[in-house]
Amino acid sequence: MTTRRKWAIIPGLVALGAIAVLLSAYTGATTQPDTVITDRGAWGYSAGSSPQGRAPVQPIAFPHPTHVQTLGMNCLYCHFSANKSPDPGFPAMSTCMGCHTVVGPNRPAENGRPARKSAEIAKLQQYWAKKQAIPWVRVHYVPDYVNFAHMPHVNAGVSCQTCHGQVQNMTRVYQYAPLNMGWCINCHVGNVKPQWKARFDCSVCHY
Amino acid sequence: MSETSTPTGVARREFLKILGATSAATAAIGCSTDRVDKLIPYLNNPDETVPMVSNYYASTCRECSASCGVLMETRDGRTFKVEGNPDHPLNRGAMCARGQAAVQGLYNPDRYRGPMVRRGNALVPTTWADALTLLSGRLAEAQTNGGAAGAVFINRHESGSFPVLLDAWLAAFGMPAHLSHDALADDAVLEANRQAYGVSWPSLAFGAAQLIVSFGADFLETWGASVPQQLDFADARAKLAGAPRFVYVGPRRSLTGCNADQWIGCRPGSELTIVNALRGNGSIGDAAQQSGVPAATLQRLKQEIATAKPSLLIASGMSGAGTALALAINEWNKSLGNVGITVLPSRPVTSLEGISPDGDVAAAVERMRAGQVPLLMVRGVNPVFTSPKSAKVAEALAKVPFKVSFSSYPDETTELCDLVLPDHHAIESWGDAQPVPQVISLQQPGMDPVYDTRQTADVLLQVGKGNAKAAAQFAAPNYMRWLIERYPGGTAAFTPALQKGLGTGTLPHRTMPARSAPPNGAPSTGAGDFSLVVYPSASLGDGSGANKPWLQEFPDPVTKVFWQSWVEVNQQTAERLGIDSGDVLRVESPQGALELPAYVFMGIHADTVAVAFGQGHTSYGRYAQDVGLNAGDLLPSSFDPASGGFRWASTKVTITRTGTFVPLVTTEGSSRQFNRGIALAIDVHELETLGTEQEKKEEMPGDASHEYLPGLRSPTAADAQGALQSSLKVKEMGMYDPNHWSGMAKRRWAMTVDLARCTGCQACVTACYAENNIPIVGAPYQQVHTAFLHGVPGGNILKGREMNWIRLERYWEGGEDGGDFEARFVPMLCQHCGNAPCEPVCPVYATYHSPDGLNVQVYNRCVGTRYCSNNCPYKVRYFNWFGYGEPHRPQYAWPERMNWQLNPDVTVRGKGVMEKCTFCVQRIREAEHRAKSEGRPVRPDEFTTSCAQACPSKAITFGDAADDQWTVAKLAQDHRGYHVFQELLNTFPAVVYLKKVNHPAPAAPAGA
Repeated sequence: MTTRRKWAIIPGLVALGAIAVLLSAYTGATTQPDTVITDRGAWGYSAGSSPQGRAPVQPIAFPHPTHVQTLGMNCLYCHFSANKSPDPGFPAMSTCMGCHTVVGPNRPAENGRPARKSAEIAKLQQYWAKKQAIPWVRVHYVPDYVNFAHMPHVNAGVSCQTCHGQVQNMTRVYQYAPLNMGWCINCHVGNVKPQWKARFDCSVCHY
Repeated sequence: MSETSTPTGVARREFLKILGATSAATAAIGCSTDRVDKLIPYLNNPDETVPMVSNYYASTCRECSASCGVLMETRDGRTFKVEGNPDHPLNRGAMCARGQAAVQGLYNPDRYRGPMVRRGNALVPTTWADALTLLSGRLAEAQTNGGAAGAVFINRHESGSFPVLLDAWLAAFGMPAHLSHDALADDAVLEANRQAYGVSWPSLAFGAAQLIVSFGADFLETWGASVPQQLDFADARAKLAGAPRFVYVGPRRSLTGCNADQWIGCRPGSELTIVNALRGNGSIGDAAQQSGVPAATLQRLKQEIATAKPSLLIASGMSGAGTALALAINEWNKSLGNVGITVLPSRPVTSLEGISPDGDVAAAVERMRAGQVPLLMVRGVNPVFTSPKSAKVAEALAKVPFKVSFSSYPDETTELCDLVLPDHHAIESWGDAQPVPQVISLQQPGMDPVYDTRQTADVLLQVGKGNAKAAAQFAAPNYMRWLIERYPGGTAAFTPALQKGLGTGTLPHRTMPARSAPPNGAPSTGAGDFSLVVYPSASLGDGSGANKPWLQEFPDPVTKVFWQSWVEVNQQTAERLGIDSGDVLRVESPQGALELPAYVFMGIHADTVAVAFGQGHTSYGRYAQDVGLNAGDLLPSSFDPASGGFRWASTKVTITRTGTFVPLVTTEGSSRQFNRGIALAIDVHELETLGTEQEKKEEMPGDASHEYLPGLRSPTAADAQGALQSSLKVKEMGMYDPNHWSGMAKRRWAMTVDLARCTGCQACVTACYAENNIPIVGAPYQQVHTAFLHGVPGGNILKGREMNWIRLERYWEGGEDGGDFEARFVPMLCQHCGNAPCEPVCPVYATYHSPDGLNVQVYNRCVGTRYCSNNCPYKVRYFNWFGYGEPHRPQYAWPERMNWQLNPDVTVRGKGVMEKCTFCVQRIREAEHRAKSEGRPVRPDEFTTSCAQACPSKAITFGDAADDQWTVAKLAQDHRGYHVFQELLNTFPAVVYLKKVNHPAPAAPAGA
């Protein structure tokens, strides 16, 4: 009896542990209080130990769809150095205020559009009035020992959406891709598009 | 079936609870890279900056008086590296170690955060408004009560507009002109040059000479403008067969002496007698008697100088013989016809004009002692430290009622002051300099001020505006406008000049105040058996470098000792007295005594001991305080009346063994090569036969018939291609196939090091620290977990845990019998072996050979077994024993704001990770990215490594050895080339050393 129970319990516990670890790896992001699970995209297979899907609440709920789809702004208008630097560039407050000095929180009804009040633009103007920078929460992150450069990727014709997802549709930006090494290599060896294949030696990114 | 029936162990429910909790914890923190990082945008984007792309601002180095041109690499608002300006006439792109370390002065954690004022016994923070009110009040008071005429302003020597502004400002307040001080300046030589040539420092054409004879002048270290002198000297030596022979005469074989083909060790102070005898103004026999040099040696030197035309004779006035020696040398150069050929008064180094001699500062100190000085102001100088203890400067300062310091650091002088108005660092300042005639070297800020400091020139202008009578003179809103208004050609000329950091024209210069009589003209002798030579340290200079950890963790180029003071004792003398290296000796002079560990050295005269100056600070921050001892404590305050120069070597000392032992903090394993063939040299006449011998040796043993990659051989890559009978098919070679689409294997990154050029100065070492985020490990606060060495500077290094990716190995050849010997320097870095012993032993593939020929260390793969380091014959792998790169650890190497210097392109390594030279892979990848985005291949010699870029001898060349268009590909085929350990170990290194070329005395037999 005891022996039988033991033989049932031990593999059972091992299995439970394994399931717990796998679950924890997959659902790691769900335990973050400020995170919602959203579309995992085509990369779900390698999402283990990745915060993929993480969509932190931002200090200002910046709507990419309004700016990109309604107003037709190009990504490079704000992320101005994605094609000339390892860093994609992050808009200065003055870039926001270039328009939002004129486009205020209260829009009267005109041209058939209803009036609207935007608390978010009001927040932006408050930050600007106090000369404070908005403390955006970083969404996309690779560790310090990875030297990822935007410039060669953009110049090779890899679209922003390939790695960042359909940001133009995101009301809140989330991490679309797992950003782990398997995902990088998958593209570098030419599995995503043959013409995107690139060097995949360790020392290309790790130094 | 109940849980209680389980006889032992954890209850099932408990276990499941624990399991559940564990997985929840894993889920929460787990292996996830999820961390809350903030992205803080700019309010307004700065113009012309792209994030993560460097801007280079041209400026002027202010670490010594020479005023070399620098490019300040600035990214995202922070200057993190200082490089030489290739267009500058003085340094031509090179940069010495002290110049490189300027950024550590900028971000120094011990800098004053703002103005300070004395309250009781302590300096306490104050506001600029209060501080300037206090200063203005004191100035007005001094003017009304007539004390202003006795005021003293001692400024760090610099050329350019600032001294002119300062004198005008002092005059406006009724104060006398300032003293422009440089403790390292050789006042005797400056004075003698002014008398002989009318300029303070003629440039020296080493390349035009057939023979160079230096009487103690260390032109590769601190004597004069060292970087341009080193560039010229290295270029001269690179002529190989046509290169000058170099003889060094002096009591101690310095780094400059180590570069000489012959060292003639003499008693300190006997140089003048030797020079007179060689010129025929005295008998050789007497000179031999006085100097301790064999008469035959002097006779041969006399003949050599007579036959070699042209020659270049130089002498140091710091050696004790002073101005008379310098004048005699100038006369001699004239009579030999060298002036205009090797000594060029028509091309002076103008930045060395107008230096007030040490005697002037000493005379001012005496006036303070007599109570005649109501107001003292110091900027960039530290007379309390640089004057010998016997001068009792601190006591004299106590007699001054109000003392102002413009220093940014808590140095010994500043700590005694009543008001501290911290100056901007040179990297934050505007300014200009006149390095050579008709060239203006401009200085501009690389970044905003790190702390609440203010540029002294701006303070002067602001205070000057408060002076009703002189306000119009100081109307300029700030010093930048002041400079532009006075710039030859105005704004139209200034703006384009600023882009290059260089303009043409002559700046107005101040008239040098008349020299005061130094207080103590009589040479003091002391009564001991040994003459004491105190020499300025090659890295710390006059001690101002001591608060920069790169300069502390900078082995002395000759002794390889650091983080410590030591006393050099002659080898024969040491044997006679039973002294071993590390035995603590009590060195006693009439002025004081120091207990120092002995360093047994062949390169010092038998009756002489030597101590480096620069250590032994009693304050000056965490890296300087209580490290080593101050050699100045032994010296009498004695000055040469003819020039006012301080006598560095003028006293006799006794040495006694204390019976204790202090291990020397050194990176040196052995000073001898034991036939290992690390540093090879040939005599100049062997150059002709070298070519043919090399042809014969082309077939190396063990590599008879293999097809190698173009460029240097690389069996690893060859094996991957199947050349060594491996069974791989082309498909399986991957990127190691030269025809692979990535093209990686078409390249072979390689380096050549020309030992005929290398002087062993170690500028490359500091350049490597600056570029590659190498932690320092020897600071006293880092020795917390080091048993028995708690708080001992260099404790980690005593355990062999140093971290210098490139080091200078120095080997002695000959001299075992007490005769002359040869010094050989070899920069030793990762050899990026084609057949690397470290690679196969790594259990986790953290180190491997990349297709483009790099021996790669992948930090995130490394688990720290250290097998690779154990298997490396070159000992170039370094292990992070502690968390030097982790801010929460006590060993953190970059305490706050020092971390602003970190190169954002290079990973900061964590604890337990192996690291080593990467051939600056970040620069390779950056150049490749840049080329690709411009749609072109990487151009030959487009970029280079940090060490090669800085090298003031241009000894290091880096590039692609597989492409003939690169310089390195040609140099790698040089007949002088060899690999270290290749024939012993078959490692196929990617570093090619070119043999040093010795120039034996003409009469001496071959090979001597």
